[in-house]
Amino acid sequence: MSTLADPSSGHSAPADPSSGHSAPAGGRPGSLAARQAELVAALTGGAPVPVGFDARMVEAARVALLRKRAGEVARHWPLLAAALGERWPGEFARWAATRPTQGSLRDGWDLARELAAGGELPAPAGAELATREAASRYDGRSAPRARRAPTVRRAAGSVVLQLFGRVRVLRGPA
Amino acid sequence: MTAHGVGIGWRPEIAGFVAGLPGLRFTEVVAESVPAHGELPAGLAELRERGTAVVPHGVKLSLGGAEPVEPARVAHLATVAERLGAPLASEHIAFVRAGGVEAGHLLPVPRSREAVDAVVANVKRTQAELGVPLALEPIAALFDWPDDELDEAAFLTEILERTGALLLLDVANVYANARNRGADPVALLDALPLERVAYVHVAGGAEHDGIYHDTHADAVPQPVLDLVAALCARHRPPALLLERDGAYPSADALRAELDAIAAASGYPAVT
Repeated sequence: MSTLADPSSGHSAPADPSSGHSAPAGGRPGSLAARQAELVAALTGGAPVPVGFDARMVEAARVALLRKRAGEVARHWPLLAAALGERWPGEFARWAATRPTQGSLRDGWDLARELAAGGELPAPAGAELATREAASRYDGRSAPRARRAPTVRRAAGSVVLQLFGRVRVLRGPA
Repeated sequence: MTAHGVGIGWRPEIAGFVAGLPGLRFTEVVAESVPAHGELPAGLAELRERGTAVVPHGVKLSLGGAEPVEPARVAHLATVAERLGAPLASEHIAFVRAGGVEAGHLLPVPRSREAVDAVVANVKRTQAELGVPLALEPIAALFDWPDDELDEAAFLTEILERTGALLLLDVANVYANARNRGADPVALLDALPLERVAYVHVAGGAEHDGIYHDTHADAVPQPVLDLVAALCARHRPPALLLERDGAYPSADALRAELDAIAAASGYPAVT
């Protein structure tokens, strides 16, 4: 699971608002917009805490934010969180530390796919991922959309069939 | 808002509990969780039918963002308020995204002239589309900006005066901010325009490593109830609402918290 901590693994770094060209809406340097973007980058992307802030309290806020996100993602992906058990908050926080949220559904989906690709998705969470994959098309960049065509998907040993919008687990975790 | 007494935030996880409260006259729902079209969440329509006021509470407008508030988000809040027949809508004095990145959390804006102007502009943009009054909620924040020019009361009062907005006062936020800064929470109550309070939030929290976190997932501590009493002794707000957003306790525990808020405020119990 240690590879999950690598922020360069297929995930673009957060925009640096001070560089002037990579921040789409960061505003001119020193403006309120730019400084808000710097603070968000520190809290969600691993960027340094902006000058003048209480670094200890910003760090406490960052950790609290990750803890809150872990809880919200666990509500959307209960089997994924349950399969990781006590390791869930830590594993999620490690993965999410440099990834601003795309919403709890997509955050959990991205993490589950990454675990599955590395052969590290726990079997009990396989049916959950396969169910989502069979029911919706998700390109990893925008909101998932319901599939119309019949679809079979597999993950971590589970096999799921979606037919006319109804989903059936053909083979669950062993 | 007319006097609605004690309420509790409607969440899907506790919809059955909320529906079973015999004296409930108002509730609040996260605005972004209510669809603009189609059926209302199960249970919410029933509450409306029995006359319970439902206030949409926005969490993603980012009124404190330097950028203009997104028209689609404003339109959604306005639509939901209309669908619910809400007496008012509420949002936070906070920003939740910047530079195209979602923070996933309510973040404080600097208490500066520039930020006041940004908030006022966004509140006015929102009010222009809303068919009901807007109440603004100051947040709990673990840190402040280094460039604060105003204190919290002056910052809030100026925003309220320039926009005509109402105040959604969260006594748990007041408590958390004061406790983490070694300040007196009652002093802020004395400095705020309490006659502008539309309703009040009450919530629980917990301390980690010497820092108090406003979690909405822990019990309401006694000092927050004491602050409810201190507030009501000065100017009793028309309504007080318990916010619980996770780690839901037993129905008995929730009832006890609602009763404690009723006792502290002098409103009748709704349980």
